Amino acid sequence: MTTIAEKPQLISSRKDAQFEVTLYKNVGVEGAHTLETYLEGGGYKAAKKALTTMTPEAVVDEVKRSGLRGRGGAGFPTGLKWSFMPKPDGRQRFIVCNADESEPGSFKDRYLMEDDPHQLLEGMVIAGYAIGATKGVLYVRGEYYKSYERLREALAEATAGGYLGKGLFGSEFDFEIILHRGAGAYICGEETSLMNSFEGLRANPRLKPPFPAQAGVYGLPTTINNVESFASAVHIIAKGADWYASMGTDDSKGTKLYQVSGPAAKPGVYELPMGATFRELIFELAGGPTEPIKALIPGGSSTPMLAFNDETLDTPMDYGSIAKKGSMLGTGGVILIPQEKCIVNATWNLVRFYAHESCGKCTPCREGISGWMTKMYQKLVSGRGEAGDVELIEIMSRNIKGKAFCPLADACLGPVQSSLALFRDEYEHLAEHGTPKYTKTNWWSA
Amino acid sequence: MKVKVNDVELDLEPGTSAIDAVFAAGYDVPYFCSQEYMSPIGACRMCLGKVGAPRKDRETNDWIRDAETGEPQIFYFPNLMATCTTAIMDGMVIDTLSKEVRQAQSGMMEFHLINHPLDCPVCDKGGACELQDRAYEYGAGTSRFEFDKRHQEKHHALSELITLDRERCIHCKRCVRYFEEVPGDEVLDFIERGGHTYIGTVDEGLPSYFTGNITDICPVGALLDATSRFRGRNWEYDHTRTVSLDDASGAAIMVDARTGRIERVKGARNTQVNLDWIDDSTRFGHEYVDAPDRLKTPLIRKGALLEPASWEEAAQFIASRLAVAGKRVGVAVRSDATLEEGVAAKALAEHLRGHAEHFPRPAASVIAENPATFTDVATSDAIFVVGDPTEEVPTLDLRIKDALRGVAPPELLAHGVPIADLRLKERMPRKRSILTVAAPYRTNLMRHAGQELIYPAGQEEDLFGGVGSGKAGASLAAEQLNQLKSALSDAKKPVIILGAFVLASAAATRAAEALAESVGAKVMKLGPMANSYGLEALEVTSDGGYADLLTQSDVLILSNLNPAQDVQIGERLRNLDLLIVHDSFETETTGLAHVVLPAKTGYEKEGTVVNLEGRFLNVYPAPVDSGTSEDFIGVVRTLGEALGVRLDGRSVRSARRSLAKTLNHDLAALPEEGLLAPVDAKEIGETVADTVAGNLLLTSSLLKVDRLRRNPKLRAAHGDVALRVNPADAEAQNLEAGANVTVNIGGVARSATIKITEDAPEGLMLLPATFDQALGLTSAEIVPAADLVSA
Repeated sequence: MTTIAEKPQLISSRKDAQFEVTLYKNVGVEGAHTLETYLEGGGYKAAKKALTTMTPEAVVDEVKRSGLRGRGGAGFPTGLKWSFMPKPDGRQRFIVCNADESEPGSFKDRYLMEDDPHQLLEGMVIAGYAIGATKGVLYVRGEYYKSYERLREALAEATAGGYLGKGLFGSEFDFEIILHRGAGAYICGEETSLMNSFEGLRANPRLKPPFPAQAGVYGLPTTINNVESFASAVHIIAKGADWYASMGTDDSKGTKLYQVSGPAAKPGVYELPMGATFRELIFELAGGPTEPIKALIPGGSSTPMLAFNDETLDTPMDYGSIAKKGSMLGTGGVILIPQEKCIVNATWNLVRFYAHESCGKCTPCREGISGWMTKMYQKLVSGRGEAGDVELIEIMSRNIKGKAFCPLADACLGPVQSSLALFRDEYEHLAEHGTPKYTKTNWWSA
Repeated sequence: MKVKVNDVELDLEPGTSAIDAVFAAGYDVPYFCSQEYMSPIGACRMCLGKVGAPRKDRETNDWIRDAETGEPQIFYFPNLMATCTTAIMDGMVIDTLSKEVRQAQSGMMEFHLINHPLDCPVCDKGGACELQDRAYEYGAGTSRFEFDKRHQEKHHALSELITLDRERCIHCKRCVRYFEEVPGDEVLDFIERGGHTYIGTVDEGLPSYFTGNITDICPVGALLDATSRFRGRNWEYDHTRTVSLDDASGAAIMVDARTGRIERVKGARNTQVNLDWIDDSTRFGHEYVDAPDRLKTPLIRKGALLEPASWEEAAQFIASRLAVAGKRVGVAVRSDATLEEGVAAKALAEHLRGHAEHFPRPAASVIAENPATFTDVATSDAIFVVGDPTEEVPTLDLRIKDALRGVAPPELLAHGVPIADLRLKERMPRKRSILTVAAPYRTNLMRHAGQELIYPAGQEEDLFGGVGSGKAGASLAAEQLNQLKSALSDAKKPVIILGAFVLASAAATRAAEALAESVGAKVMKLGPMANSYGLEALEVTSDGGYADLLTQSDVLILSNLNPAQDVQIGERLRNLDLLIVHDSFETETTGLAHVVLPAKTGYEKEGTVVNLEGRFLNVYPAPVDSGTSEDFIGVVRTLGEALGVRLDGRSVRSARRSLAKTLNHDLAALPEEGLLAPVDAKEIGETVADTVAGNLLLTSSLLKVDRLRRNPKLRAAHGDVALRVNPADAEAQNLEAGANVTVNIGGVARSATIKITEDAPEGLMLLPATFDQALGLTSAEIVPAADLVSA
């Protein structure tokens, strides 16, 4: 049994001298998206190391040991997910990269793809090797055209350079990547919808089980991960699981890309060790808010918002700590909501997004979120609200919560229920007076 | 596995869904998206239940037990679960009665109804609507939704036969899944997303033979049978569950009639035959019954004219003419006559010392030696089809596709067919390789086959000989045939299906049965009509067959047959001493008859038929106003009275008494799935000489040619009778697509519309046969329709 004293000191702040920017080290560097620059910085060495010196099981073990958890939002341990693949049985297997980053407030993957596409490709080669998949699918959000172009160029370069194709690094491992552009549907960020969309079908979520490891793309064994997870895997293999696990907190290891949007001095993407506090992110890196803030959304628009106070600011940004606060780490996309902004209007903006993105498969989402909920918010923000409307939104939320087919409906309820819990007075005010308590109608500017 | 539903404990097979556990326990949950024979998808979210299960300790591998009671502790899922997509687990506890569950169901019902127009008073589904029923049972009774409902197209004609009301749609996806999963014709899908989602097609119409089933499975009034729209309310209809007499499958149907008129036909469930599905011809092909020119009273020839008379007058007339007529009597019934009518025909022929026969009857017997059932087909691992099941026996087409899904028909539970069969999935990979389809032309089913063999028409014997011997045959390579033989030999449950072109040749059928025996395959023979099997088993047959009967009789009594369609035969019939024709409509033959007796259609009869499996099925009469029409039993009863004899088959009861002796079955009130009792195969005389040359193939058709003129909706949807011609032939013969032509086949002149298609091989034209034309190869001459007019 390890005593507390014996525990390795974890890095959980950027201020720690041992911390170095890892995932984003090439982002913002001129010409970093080319193979040449990537190789100069030691690119594809991790893939070579994995393919030539490690067995697939060893790669999976290394990732498991690193404590990497999925960076797409749900935080499922990546190594464990890889180990769920059935034993090779001669069938084609797929590794899929979910690059359909569409959650409002999340924009970390975009720059990974635009400025460092080879890092992602290398991660996919490693993952493909680990799970025995010779084909990778890279599903890029339709709106990310620059990412798509950069990835296309990178794929061509990597293929020409022998980093993709047959017999990689002298091993017997073949790997190719199919680049696929989405057509602008948030639901494709849901893994099974993404697979349907990739197959050319309507982007509806599939029934689980069977899980992708049993029946994924074309019904074949598939593992699907987020862009950032693949990028992290490169460094885990290059520098070792121990190094990776030395950063973060007990349940959340390594570094994470956090995003700040809203009225901050320097909104953007920042890499921090897991467990850094909101305060460090917002005040020290993003330069602090430019106006009074009343709430923040911690991890992309679907995560319940938290009151903007010292308690929240000192919360470590890891999976467990934020969950204890009743929210989620999600994608790490922090959105600041100004004091002067009407919370109903702000929430309406998100509800409208989810209503628009509902796929229409199941009743609570199609009729509840996309239909009724939208109309209730419309009614409130247009000043036609009346007594009982707020209660009705509350009841409706309860009738939807946990009853929809996929997480999209619950994602919409994140901001709805949390804003109701925190700022019910604003709702009541709007319903009673027809005018918002705070009159700022526009989301970002003053 | 032990499962507890509320207070009921059950033992169910692993893999059962939780919703079936609930129903098996005698409880109810609402559901809209599940359908017994389709994949469960969990879309409507109505069947929510509180579900929990005990958990095993990972280390001790023992149940985690409650500290106080020592019972295994139940761990509930954090959310309510859609029971349709949840498989049972050992020790699972399902609660459907608690306040939490009821509130969730009522809340979900409220969501279903917010955009539903609630126009039940003008909706055809009203009174028989799943949404309506469930809203009463599980809804709150009021809605808190105060906004405008979604407005969409209310009268969208998906095809000539099906109307879609998009406002009523609750997006259960049954219809979309149906097309993909059951017939495999993907012609319908969701368009747009979220609250804007609607059902639609890419092109005009629904190009499939099995479209009407979506009106049966639609849980609301969104998809409606256009032929019956606004014709009546559900509680006004008389519902008669009977059997379709349109083909040899014995598919169960529900005939809905009102004020003496058939308004619609729906599919009914026979778990052993058609499941829930019927083809469009069976469903929409009933309009002819109510055609204005239906014969409703007997007619007696007075000089050149046929004049209306009563049955007694007609019978007296016949009796008096029989006394002076020649002694060679022939009685022939069409092969969709019931067994009871067959008894009547035999008894009448016997009394008059004549011969009884049924037609159409192929050269070979339709009774197989080692017969396959539909279930055998659906569970087969190697199917060799020679023929065109889609046109001949459409039900079989769907059951073959069941086999391609590779999921055996479900075991019945306490409440019947499982509601959510978790083995079924959306877009299941199909095992095409198990299906080989051979035909003289490209058939519909070939789209789903792993191997398609197109052989020259008339060479069926060579084909089977080739497969049996492994040598090249019927212009097909030895390798292909060898492969097929080994696939059949290696299979556990091979089935060989023999269509009309095989049965048209006794030699080919013998070759096929020899092959079946050598590879251990069961055989299914596609008899031409609904009771071909039964009438042959009953031996309503004569040595010389129908052809001899027509040429060598002095007196002919024909039921629903029209041999005078052929003008050469018509000339002969003109000289008969007495020609009695029992039919529902005037035909060329009634025009020559001395007496015409009005006949009941297949919807109006009571009796029994035997389908192609050897399954005895009761036919029940729907209350249709058809004047004084009678079935052949009625003909024999009235004639017997006039002749002063009590013949067997003068009533259904008397016929069944006779049948109980000959077939050893009591045929009164058979179970819904029928009585599967195949009879022994026997050698029968060959009735038609094999034809081996010709330029035209007379094919079976799901759309009944003889009735098409009186089925205007079906005709509008599927077009006129088509003469299919290969593009090369069309060019050589200067035939234009869409041109109307007359096809002269011997003495029969048929009008048809040219359809140019690669489906027809070069040198062979395809024309659907009438009931009175023998299927198979023949010679024909094409005359442009315009020439006829000028001549």
